[in-house]
Amino acid sequence: MHNISKVFMFELKSILSKKSMIITTAIISIVLVIITTVPTIISLFDQGEIIPIPQDKISMMGFGFVIENEAVTIDELNLFFVDVEIFESEADLRKALNNEKITQAFIVTSPTSLTTIVINRELYSNASYPIQNALTQLQIQRNLIELELDPQKVNEAYNVKIAINEEVIGKDASDSFMIAYVLMFAVYMLVIMYGAMVSTSVAREKDNRTMELLITSTKPDALIIGKVFANGLAGVLQFGFIMLVGVLGIVINRANYPAEILSVVVGGLRWDSMLVFLVFTFFGYLLYLFIYASLGSLVSKMEDVSSSVAPITLLFIAAYIVATLGLQMPESVIVRIGSYVPFTAILAMPVRYFLTAVSWLELGISLTLMTLTAWLFARISIDIYRLGSLNYGNKMSFIKALGQIREDRRK
Amino acid sequence: MRLEIKNIHKSFSGKKILHDVSFTVTTGKAMGFLGRNGAGKTTTIRALMDVFKADEGHFLIDGKPFDPRQYNIGYLPEERGMYAKEKIINQLIYFAQLRGIKKAQAKASAEHWLDRFELGYAKNNKLETLSKGNQQKVQIAQSLIGDPDILIFDEPFSGLDPVNSQVLKDVIREKIEEGKLVIFSSHQMTYVEEFCDEITLIEQGRIILTGNLDKIKNDMGQSKIRLKSSNIQNGELKDKLIKLTNCHDISEDKKSLIIHLPENNNLNNFLNQCLKAGIEIEMISPYRPSLTDIFIQKVGEEHA
Repeated sequence: MHNISKVFMFELKSILSKKSMIITTAIISIVLVIITTVPTIISLFDQGEIIPIPQDKISMMGFGFVIENEAVTIDELNLFFVDVEIFESEADLRKALNNEKITQAFIVTSPTSLTTIVINRELYSNASYPIQNALTQLQIQRNLIELELDPQKVNEAYNVKIAINEEVIGKDASDSFMIAYVLMFAVYMLVIMYGAMVSTSVAREKDNRTMELLITSTKPDALIIGKVFANGLAGVLQFGFIMLVGVLGIVINRANYPAEILSVVVGGLRWDSMLVFLVFTFFGYLLYLFIYASLGSLVSKMEDVSSSVAPITLLFIAAYIVATLGLQMPESVIVRIGSYVPFTAILAMPVRYFLTAVSWLELGISLTLMTLTAWLFARISIDIYRLGSLNYGNKMSFIKALGQIREDRRK
Repeated sequence: MRLEIKNIHKSFSGKKILHDVSFTVTTGKAMGFLGRNGAGKTTTIRALMDVFKADEGHFLIDGKPFDPRQYNIGYLPEERGMYAKEKIINQLIYFAQLRGIKKAQAKASAEHWLDRFELGYAKNNKLETLSKGNQQKVQIAQSLIGDPDILIFDEPFSGLDPVNSQVLKDVIREKIEEGKLVIFSSHQMTYVEEFCDEITLIEQGRIILTGNLDKIKNDMGQSKIRLKSSNIQNGELKDKLIKLTNCHDISEDKKSLIIHLPENNNLNNFLNQCLKAGIEIEMISPYRPSLTDIFIQKVGEEHA
């Protein structure tokens, strides 16, 4: 135990004093400060220039219209929109578009048809929809008048509002979606980055032949546990610092955030959800770090590390996909199964817990399975580390290493 | 202290590497563990250091099972390596602490050995900033920190220039005089010959010779003499002696002829025969084989 703390402190100091670590953390933190300050910056520039848009009307700023054949009148368009800019001809409209004075052009060719011109169409562009809707409304009114019906009365007859009083007994997924997504992504980055760092760190000790000195000075248990915990904590410190900067940024600038954005960001924050998240992240993170460490000790050259850790990285990406699915369908079968499998539960169970009601029994079963697997892989990784320390030849496969350990134990 | 390596067997992937390896090392006497490349020296040392377990056999210290982690051992592995991007002093302290040495003692000892190897100026530098030879000296310093009771050096002289080899030789001599238990493996016979009291020869995983070096030299030199003539060249002299005497086992090196006197021909009789034949003797002495001669002869016998 005594040597675990020595290995831990040496490794932790070594990681935290790396220039790359300090610079990366500083850059990400600065970017985060800028991003979280954007609403404040915008409010500084926009002060006094805001012209209130009438309720139920949409601004057509940046769009241009040509109306052919008196299809609609400007007054009719003004019923739905503000800032409507009408051009004399299609040529003028195209000229304005080419000069980037407007971003999209609409040529209303008849009351029920329209042509739209755009320079580049974005994947989810829906700028035509309000125009289409306005023309539809106008044409319905014309049709009603033609049928000698009062549009006002017809509108009242159609405009029936059903009051819905929704009571959520469990959890409202819409409250916690954003926080669940942010935390899931943070854990994904944490495991991918620090998993690779642990395996690289172990492989480097073999590559530069430090391992024999280490393994003859203390027990492999102390070396691998110290190393895994040091890398793990370094990751948590780095991510914790970055997230703290983000939270501080939001808190300092919260006066300038729209209320609905604030509620989306922090709406799902509850102590029990955070506790579940922290516990599952802790054990899942350890499980992956031990696996990454053992895979690192199977290779003896730095260039072999990426191919050695590829299978576990793919498995973790699969866990991420399951958890992403969980954000949309937290009660789907695959997500429920994933929240019990230790390799996927690290992400899937917290996501489920954030978004839906999960019983303590389910949490207990999943956590027990995960801690047992983490413990098992910690044992295996210590044996593989010891075995791998002597293997200076070709890369050894994980399965072959397990076979060798079993054989050694039988002796 | 008396360290016994008893009947060690070790196989890797079904291939037997060590066959019943046994020898003994005692405090105050340096043990030279010799063998060709791949003979099994490093495997034996790694088994001794518990890098892996031996399949059979025991390591005993003063008659009790030997656990290397319970002793203050200075170990210089054949596969040299330390952290390239760490400050030298920090990693020296770290390695010493892992061996159970207190931080303050480790720091003082590390500084002492760095100064001794003329590397005190670089203690706060990263290891990678030093030349290969100086990195080797840092690694030797690592093995000496904390005044270890047992020193195990695997090929300590490889990569060192003559000046640094001399510094290391002086250090090893000091440690022997201080009564430390010293084992070092090498295939560089001259270094071993200089200060080893005991030698153990390993070939293809088998111990082919072990014991006191002086005694081995005496035993192997018995009934052999060196002879050099002032009036006849070695080649001609060799032919002449074969005709004159009944000595047929005659070889030569740079210094002289080496003649194995048969049991029925004593030294007086042999000298008379030479003088009668007009051979002027410039030098005659009992033959004591060099360690290289012993090594070549024993390895040759093993393959014969």
